[in-house]
Amino acid sequence: MTANLRYLLLSLFTLVGLVLPSTGCGDPPSGIDTQLEIRTEPGELVFHPETAEIEIAIVNNRDVDLFVGDFRIEGPDWQSFAIIDDIAASALPKGAKISLRIKANPGDFVGPGEHRSAVRRKGEASGKVGHNEFRVGKAQLVFTVSEPLQQHESFTQSVQVSFEDPSWWQQYALPAAAKILMLVMGFIMPLASLLTWMERKQSAMMQDRIGPNRANIRIGSINLRLWGLLHIATDGLKMLFKEDFIPKRAHRALYTLAPLFGLIPALVVFAIVPFGDALCYDGLFDTLSQADVDQCAAGRGGTAMQIAHIDVGLLYYFAIASIATYGTALAGWSSYNKWAVLGALRASAQMISYEVAIGLSLVGVLLVYGSLEPHAIVHAQMDSYWGIVLQPVAFILFFTAAIAETKRAPFDLPEGESEIIGYFLEYSGMRFGLFFLAEFIEVVFVSALLATLFLGGWTLPFGLIGASGFTSELAAQLFFAGGGALLTALGVLIWRTGPGGELVGGAIALLGLGHLFLATWSLATGWGTELPHLAIVLIGMLTWGLKILVLCWLQLLIRWTLPRFRYDQLMSLGWKSLLPLSIANIVLTAVVVFFMMPSADRGDQGAKPVRDAAGNPLDARVQLVDPSAAKSVRQPPTRRPGQ
Amino acid sequence: MTIGVKKVSLTRTTRDQIFLPAIFEGLLTTAKHFFKNTLTPGMGDIETIRYGDPDVDVKDYYPDRFRGVHRLMYREDGSVRCVACMCCSTVCPANCIAIEAEDRNDDREKAPLSFVIDELKCVVCGFCVEACPCDAIRMDTKEHMQPTETRAEAVLGKVDLMSRGGPSVAVQGGVSPDYRAEAPKADPRFSHDPR
Ligand code: SF4
Ligand code: SF4
Repeated sequence: MTANLRYLLLSLFTLVGLVLPSTGCGDPPSGIDTQLEIRTEPGELVFHPETAEIEIAIVNNRDVDLFVGDFRIEGPDWQSFAIIDDIAASALPKGAKISLRIKANPGDFVGPGEHRSAVRRKGEASGKVGHNEFRVGKAQLVFTVSEPLQQHESFTQSVQVSFEDPSWWQQYALPAAAKILMLVMGFIMPLASLLTWMERKQSAMMQDRIGPNRANIRIGSINLRLWGLLHIATDGLKMLFKEDFIPKRAHRALYTLAPLFGLIPALVVFAIVPFGDALCYDGLFDTLSQADVDQCAAGRGGTAMQIAHIDVGLLYYFAIASIATYGTALAGWSSYNKWAVLGALRASAQMISYEVAIGLSLVGVLLVYGSLEPHAIVHAQMDSYWGIVLQPVAFILFFTAAIAETKRAPFDLPEGESEIIGYFLEYSGMRFGLFFLAEFIEVVFVSALLATLFLGGWTLPFGLIGASGFTSELAAQLFFAGGGALLTALGVLIWRTGPGGELVGGAIALLGLGHLFLATWSLATGWGTELPHLAIVLIGMLTWGLKILVLCWLQLLIRWTLPRFRYDQLMSLGWKSLLPLSIANIVLTAVVVFFMMPSADRGDQGAKPVRDAAGNPLDARVQLVDPSAAKSVRQPPTRRPGQ
Repeated sequence: MTIGVKKVSLTRTTRDQIFLPAIFEGLLTTAKHFFKNTLTPGMGDIETIRYGDPDVDVKDYYPDRFRGVHRLMYREDGSVRCVACMCCSTVCPANCIAIEAEDRNDDREKAPLSFVIDELKCVVCGFCVEACPCDAIRMDTKEHMQPTETRAEAVLGKVDLMSRGGPSVAVQGGVSPDYRAEAPKADPRFSHDPR
């Protein structure tokens, strides 16, 4: 492509990037009008049969002090819901919030027969439900808001309350299937195959070589090489068409099963990795609060962005990840080849040395965040600091042990390609491909776990973004300006790499210019603190993916930088360094956590009455919130200026 | 006399034993290369010559003494310079040059009726070029012999070889065509004049 054409295209992209957003195509969505009503968190209550009660908070996000009261349930099913701790009327200073709990009586909704007040849409069949089924219930929580000085200025506000019992199918099977498809087909597999290319290309770049760049595709007269990316496809094809060789004296059944033992656990452990907070089905284009998202994360009206919300979380990972060793050991043993057996033995010995350190290095993290469940750990990191700040030693220990678990250099003894070729010595074709793929999937998983436990999962650093939008206008401007500058620079760099780069680089630069435009838009209008739920979810998933990509890059960098450890060095590193260090880390963390813990958690329950600015005691349930942060939804309980 | 053994201390410093500082140094070095090579337009530090790429002319990279496919040079009047002296076919270790001579009809020299080089046999030693007394055969094309579909296509004849050739202004035989007339008279003191 001639230079002139390039510059023409570049200026065209620039022009489109600047003009398109300003014509309204990239018009940022406007937030809800908060001046009309005060905020409730969550904005809608959804009950399931097993839901005991839901706490709802009423937040005064207006500029004046208000009175709230006269809470009541109205609507078709008003008898079946109850307010547990009723509040007659209470002052609600600006920025403060008051919370109360609502309870549903599931017995009222159970079949059989036609229920008088069942809500049906027009055209729906009669609301007959079976014996052990629940019907849908609907009501509203209504309350009155008034300004203290102008009683007549009061208005009522209502919150939708509903009861539903979605089928197992709707509640679990469908969302889980969708999430598995999305995560495995949309992220893990593409990234793992990308890593096969990245490994070769990155090592080439680190060693001043060119790397794979021969596979190409010809469209008309344009010959696209795409920096060798097409090698992914050609390698896959090659693997599929290679001879599937089984040694004569191999144990056929185990030989065939071993690659699956390697691959399946590597995929299954992803079930516990949260790739976002939660998705609310109904509020995709509304601004939601953290309470809404929490309700969706609990499965009511939405779904957590995590395939399986298991309370034992990390224990599940330790259990499943050890199964992968069977794949290695069985492959080596069943091949009937002494070198393969040596590889299998090395793999087993290595795993034993590292499993212990892996488990113990994470105990410090569990102590700090008080949970085994990755989703909860990410939430805990949102409230305090990322794991890498609080547990730097655990980060390094876990990273080291996890690299050993992936069986890659500098811990690639089971493979040992320069001496014993390793446990998959006899494998060929796609069976070998499965081992290869499993290794890369493990790399992705280690990155995902590191990102979740130590780098805040899907969250942005410094709490830039919350459930309802960026936490401040400055945060939005920083995010979009930084992201825009990075993307534009990257696009221009890719543009300059040559043929094929114009299109990709131009698109990325265009995206970057769009970001820069949003940054200026935010500067001009103060936009950014209230974003639609879908945008927050997408930003979260992108952040998560980006963190994983960077960590994968880091792992490849380590793999191509460090020489391999000798067998005895590896053992002594595992048993004599990592293990004592992780135990020391646990002890130190435990001591620090005990003394840093808020006194309330140590059984010292000194609740003091909450007072307003004038010193008058308020209703005990009213919490004063930092007025400057009145818009921010999450408030850590330790920051109460009123106390 | 005994041979002294120099003892080198192998004690490790704490810094060595922690591993991490050295590891970070190493990562920094490799990362530096990675970013330089990926982000610099062009090739960064990569010195690989991409032989065979359509947009790369290998002739820019080959040294001048590179021995490529043979060519036959011609005189100012366009006729072949070769005088069919058979020097090249004699010296050729692969025995791959076949020349048939004919009369040039200028009372002085022969010319090749046919001049055939089997490039499949040629070992690219360059002896033929060295042997040629009249700059008739050269290997300075910087061209690789391309693969052919049949063996016959790899056998180059006079026309093929001359199509790559160019005019050579070297003085024929090292002296002008009229060398016999211009030849210095032999010194009667030292030699016997055969005439
Ligand atoms: S290069 Fe060597 S082998 Fe080839 S034709 Fe000349 S003398 Fe013969
Ligand atoms: S040595 Fe030169 S002049 Fe003699 S036959 Fe070969 S090409 Fe011709």
